[in-house]
Amino acid sequence: MKSSSATSASTRTGKRGSSNLVALGSATVLAVYAAGFMRTQVAASRFADESAVRRSAPNARVSAATSTTVAPAKPVEVSAGFTPTVAKAAPVTKSTTRKDIKGAVDIVTQSAKSASSAMTVVSTPATAPPPPIASAPATVAAQLPPAVQAPAPAPSPAPLSAAAAPIPLGPPYRDGMFFGRGTSRHGDIEAMVEIKDGRIISASISQCLTRYSCSWIAALPPQVVARQSPDVDYVSGATQSANAFYYAVAEALSRSK
Amino acid sequence: MSDLFVHTFAQMGTVVSMQIVGHGTSQRARRDRTRGINRAVAWFERIEAVCSRFAAHSELRQLSTRVGMAVPVSPLLFEAVQFALAVADETHGAFDPTVGHRMEARGFNREYRSGDVVQSRIDAPDDVSYRDVELDVGARTITLHRPLLLDLGAVAKGLAVDMAARELAPFVNFAVDAGGDVFLGGHNAEGGTWTVGIRHPRDATQMLETLQISERAVCTSGDYARHVPGQVAAHHIMQPLTGASTTTVASVTVVATSAMIADAFATAAFVLGPVDGLALLERHELRGMIVTPALERVATTGFADA
Repeated sequence: MKSSSATSASTRTGKRGSSNLVALGSATVLAVYAAGFMRTQVAASRFADESAVRRSAPNARVSAATSTTVAPAKPVEVSAGFTPTVAKAAPVTKSTTRKDIKGAVDIVTQSAKSASSAMTVVSTPATAPPPPIASAPATVAAQLPPAVQAPAPAPSPAPLSAAAAPIPLGPPYRDGMFFGRGTSRHGDIEAMVEIKDGRIISASISQCLTRYSCSWIAALPPQVVARQSPDVDYVSGATQSANAFYYAVAEALSRSK
Repeated sequence: MSDLFVHTFAQMGTVVSMQIVGHGTSQRARRDRTRGINRAVAWFERIEAVCSRFAAHSELRQLSTRVGMAVPVSPLLFEAVQFALAVADETHGAFDPTVGHRMEARGFNREYRSGDVVQSRIDAPDDVSYRDVELDVGARTITLHRPLLLDLGAVAKGLAVDMAARELAPFVNFAVDAGGDVFLGGHNAEGGTWTVGIRHPRDATQMLETLQISERAVCTSGDYARHVPGQVAAHHIMQPLTGASTTTVASVTVVATSAMIADAFATAAFVLGPVDGLALLERHELRGMIVTPALERVATTGFADA
């Protein structure tokens, strides 16, 4: 009488084994999608139309830097998952050569980390969201192999003035969606951050108008969400783009005050 | 000129990241792109709202308060549980979605956003298993014959990735990455095949292997994620029968047409161990690789083939 569901499932799909489970899985995916598709149509217009919000700052780099009182940290030759040599070779290559670079990957698959320690998606070690300014270079340096223990530390402001400076980690943000733009000599990057209950719940590269591929910095938005801060890692080979993204996020956050 | 849209958000205890290549040249294209992303995000929210073990008001938690009766459930919950039970049946309980209360007891009881400890207060007998769950395919009901807490962790996140991938399919070239579960469509921003790195289970800065992937999902389950605070040898994948964490496997990577399938099989193979786990993958003609704590690798035939 107490027939296990699993039995009924396998009965339904005929004999057990081989690819039946895979077939059942595919059927599950289809069924769920069919049942919920209409619902997602409502969600489509959730975000405000970007053009309504976007306003390009005349000089995003300067204004972002001023408003946050953070001098851009010195580029650190690090990119999670890339060996330094490889990364060095990367900068101005044509896009098609990229896949030849050993160790260059688009995405790293690994188990999800517990959110309480770190939510970083790419191979950054588990670190709590770093305090705003001073410790950011240290966090980066800790991930480096000794050989690349990086250049000069960031010309960051003294901790005390940093405390007064507005790079808040939490509640000071106002809820809503905010856009910011960062410029580099290779082109502009537009970032969007979404704040809810004072926390950064999403971060996007909403436009990437750089001459070089944006793939290099695709790993950065998750860091903004995980660290609750614009202090993303430096991507060697794409320092300009990474900096532009940093400024874009900083500008967006400065608008959420 | 490069053209890439990246959207990242916190959901299901991880950071989800989606990429769409191209579609940024006109206002209209950008609007469609944003809408596609919104629909994909909505799937994550919906699936978490239904399947979360941590939210008291989730449909899954509501279901566990009603023991011994046939409860009509949403198509989403029904399908997810049906698939989870089928995997449990196939693996003779190595994979078992009724481990929720044991996960709680072992300390996997923190809501990831608030950090609050969540206790469902479900008094499940020690020997509950997937056999205590009955589905009625016709009436679309689920009956729990004994008090138990379902855990759809290994299915729900993969399912959300699959749904997101369906929403993004019209954009052809895209990626969905939800901490271990990824789906890659088309090609990357350079026009090349997406490259997925498999993390070294003992060194987060190293990659064991890279795969060229298109129109496929990849999932890696590892013992290095989700440790219980204060317990070195405890991680989030446990033997349903004993309640202990598996120690013969460090990580399992599975490639499949669906992230839900890849995640469920990776979890099951993890529990089964290198020998039986590999046999399971071979039997279902899935590509996969199992890494032991000693860093020995066993892989299905053709695992590294593109």
